[in-house]
Amino acid sequence: MILLVILLIPFITGLLLLPVRNAATVKQLALASSLVNFLATLSLVFTFPVSGYSVSWINSLGVNFALGYDGISLIMLLLTSLLFPFIFMAGLKREQENTNYLYALILFTQSALIGVFLAQNAFLFYIFWELTLIPLYFILLLWGGDGRRNVTFKFFIYTLTGSLFLLFGIIYLYSLTPGVHTTDFSAFSQLNIPVNTQVWLFWVLFIAFAIKMPVFPFHTWQPSTYTMAPTQGVMILAGVMTKMGIYGALRFLFPIIPAGVLYWQNTVIILSLIGVVYASVIAFRQTNLKTLIAFSSMAHISLMVAAMFVLNYYALQGLLFQVLSHGVTIIALFYIVMLIEEKTGTLELPQMGGIKLLAPNMAILFLLVVLGSIALPLTAGFVGEFLIITGLFQQSIWFAAIGGITMVLGAIYMLYAYQRVMLGDKKVGFGNITDLKPVDYIVLIPLITIILVLGIYPQPVFNLVEASVNTMQNLLVPVADVLPALPL
Amino acid sequence: MNALIFTTILGIIILYLGLTKNKKILAPAGIAGLLVTLFLSFNDWGLGSAYFHNMVVFDNFSIAFNISMIIITIVIFLFGIDYYKMMEFHVAEQYSLMVFALVGAFLMTSFSNLIILFLGIEILSIPLYILAGGKKFSFKSNEASFKYFLLGSFATAFFLFGIALVYGASATFYLPEIKTYIAQFKGNLPPMLLIGLLFIIIGVAFKVAVAPFHFWSPDVYEGSPTLVTAFMATVVKTAGFAAFYRLLGIGLLPLPESLEKALWVMTGLSLLIGNLVALKQYNFKRLLAYSSIAHSGFIMLAMLSQHDRSASVILYYTFVYSIASVPLFIIFILVKRASNGLDHLKAFQGLYKKAPWVAVFMTILLMSMAGIPPTAGFIAKYQVFILSISQGYLGISIFAILMAVVGIYYYFNVVREVFTDRDHLEPLVITKLNAGLIIVCGIAVVVMGIFVWHLPI
Repeated sequence: MILLVILLIPFITGLLLLPVRNAATVKQLALASSLVNFLATLSLVFTFPVSGYSVSWINSLGVNFALGYDGISLIMLLLTSLLFPFIFMAGLKREQENTNYLYALILFTQSALIGVFLAQNAFLFYIFWELTLIPLYFILLLWGGDGRRNVTFKFFIYTLTGSLFLLFGIIYLYSLTPGVHTTDFSAFSQLNIPVNTQVWLFWVLFIAFAIKMPVFPFHTWQPSTYTMAPTQGVMILAGVMTKMGIYGALRFLFPIIPAGVLYWQNTVIILSLIGVVYASVIAFRQTNLKTLIAFSSMAHISLMVAAMFVLNYYALQGLLFQVLSHGVTIIALFYIVMLIEEKTGTLELPQMGGIKLLAPNMAILFLLVVLGSIALPLTAGFVGEFLIITGLFQQSIWFAAIGGITMVLGAIYMLYAYQRVMLGDKKVGFGNITDLKPVDYIVLIPLITIILVLGIYPQPVFNLVEASVNTMQNLLVPVADVLPALPL
Repeated sequence: MNALIFTTILGIIILYLGLTKNKKILAPAGIAGLLVTLFLSFNDWGLGSAYFHNMVVFDNFSIAFNISMIIITIVIFLFGIDYYKMMEFHVAEQYSLMVFALVGAFLMTSFSNLIILFLGIEILSIPLYILAGGKKFSFKSNEASFKYFLLGSFATAFFLFGIALVYGASATFYLPEIKTYIAQFKGNLPPMLLIGLLFIIIGVAFKVAVAPFHFWSPDVYEGSPTLVTAFMATVVKTAGFAAFYRLLGIGLLPLPESLEKALWVMTGLSLLIGNLVALKQYNFKRLLAYSSIAHSGFIMLAMLSQHDRSASVILYYTFVYSIASVPLFIIFILVKRASNGLDHLKAFQGLYKKAPWVAVFMTILLMSMAGIPPTAGFIAKYQVFILSISQGYLGISIFAILMAVVGIYYYFNVVREVFTDRDHLEPLVITKLNAGLIIVCGIAVVVMGIFVWHLPI
């Protein structure tokens, strides 16, 4: 029952906010609801496991409204409910048009995201998966920056194309279920699908997730979308939506078509590693701070995808840890990007410089976040990426070597960007820049604390996912013998 | 049967009501009559009564489709109250012609004899030829009427020729007997029968605008008065597919391979042409015309999958499609009025500022047309794919899914216009009745997506 409550809190708050005209009230209510939601989600950690919730929905199509969770969903849920209060706080004390509609849409997105992570039925999963997109599309279209008309359209069509392939896959799996057809995940994972079918089914299912994450070469929607998105929109996109792709892949691919995964394992790892290097190199050449961070995010996500397909103990632990760590870091980064844009009126690196002289506190906090992003020891990023590289190393030393490059390249372009923005001589016209306001501390200090605490004492997260990681890593073992010749 | 008789009388009554020169009573009278028809149809549910030596069979299949068409006609009549307000003369004829067309539609859903199908198609078509030319002084309306009449009679000739050939070969007009007759050849049909069947299929395919027999539909949709276009896109389409399913799904399928191949080609072509050409349409009515060709492709897919659920899925699909189409036409008319007769997609620009709630409902309706959850349009497409994939037609299903993406593209092109700013905003005048219709249909589309129904027909 508590799962249903967690799912519905944002949705109902969103509905209630629609007629509210007072912007301040809207923001406070949204924030309050997201905090309540966080507490409710946190309670799941201590009462783990809670029994699921299931009612029959569409009998004739074998669809159940089934909610439940395991360690992996729990990490995702925690991340979602942790980040949304910060996403709402990013709007505090700021002028926004039609606040009630914007916040209602954000809350609807949150509800749909929670639904994706809770769904135990593939049809339900798909519905929520699509539902995340609709409100987000309007957030981007109505509150976005330059060129939003075409950029959002590309984003929308791109992701929907992937989703429809997923839909095909779901229906195909549905038609394979024995007896009375159903779309429950439990039934799907018991299917004994012929290896040859799994080999093509893999791409049908994977494309939707690959686009969402995004994996090279399905990433072309991402940089432009991130760049023009409003801050809160990009926080949802980079902080949570990308994780949705990872979660979907873990939920669909490994339990249902393990042989297909094993067959394409190296292909996907290599694609991801290409993505890592590609995104890092391109990030280095960016002059727009937001686009640069978009590419850096892609590099990090690609590394996580590589870890996912290695699927050994370390890589999975690292992946799930990195899910949390990347989410928190990227939100902090985009928050600072927003501050910089507000204060200087630009995001172009060549036009910036010397902000440290005017806003020293901001410079310090920005530096801490950047260090977290480039995975310096004692930050959360280090724990996650270290485990991932360890996991990659077990698969192949070359994978580990290329994966390791990302940390070096990441350090280069992030510090370079930091240098261009904060250090150097003060630019003309930046005279009236003020330092952080109290509300900025309220947002940034907790985020940085989380980054540091997780970096110093990561064990609680590992305990949480231990059981699921053990189940996951054993999925591929029994199918290793039955594979046809590998393509790579 | 009572429903059929009553509807015929209703048409005549409305025609005579026109003599009273009181325009205001026409639509209410028509709606009251249709409600009675609805009641009579409900009464026949489950009886499966047959008349005239089994030439007409009112089984659950036909009643379910009749009810869905009556509901849509009621919605269109409600819209007509505002639409015909400016029209001085001949309003009664418009309503009664639609009622007469409905009589033809009833026959098309319930025939089991090819002659009755022919009668049904003709009774449906002739009023439509007149209705398409409803705007006497509009060049486009005349063109639509003339084109529809010429091509329609051409198709009818094909159809009649086909019936004659089939009769010549099998000496019967009855579908079950034709089916038994075909079965004895085990796939090797004599040419006369083969050509006859092909001509019959072409005749019906023309009526439902399946490619490559779709050429009339964009011009006719564009030129006809919008209310008539709404009627054609919904009721006529539903009737056509009910007839098609009765002819093939209940009647003749499985057909010899060559004919089935032709049908699959028609499905693929409809999906391809409908969707791809719609991409380049900037006139809203033409856009809906091409998209309706694409929808025909999806319905064909459900029909050819030959599952025992096909009939129910087609009913669901056509009903959901109709209930989303009519309010879209209403919104289009209102927007067109507000922007001085502009029928380019640009007319929708700034709608979200002028009337935010209309923009929201329009988005929901377009989402349903495009097949995006949580709307009923998604469930409809989902069910079609379930049929085709579970029957093993993977290739065409993948193709249909790709085409659905294209569909989403052009429908969201409209959504994008709705949410785009425009410099000068003309006020949008919406009567309470039209507002109610848009809201009710919009909500219905979502509700049917959550509470999915399935009729055992």
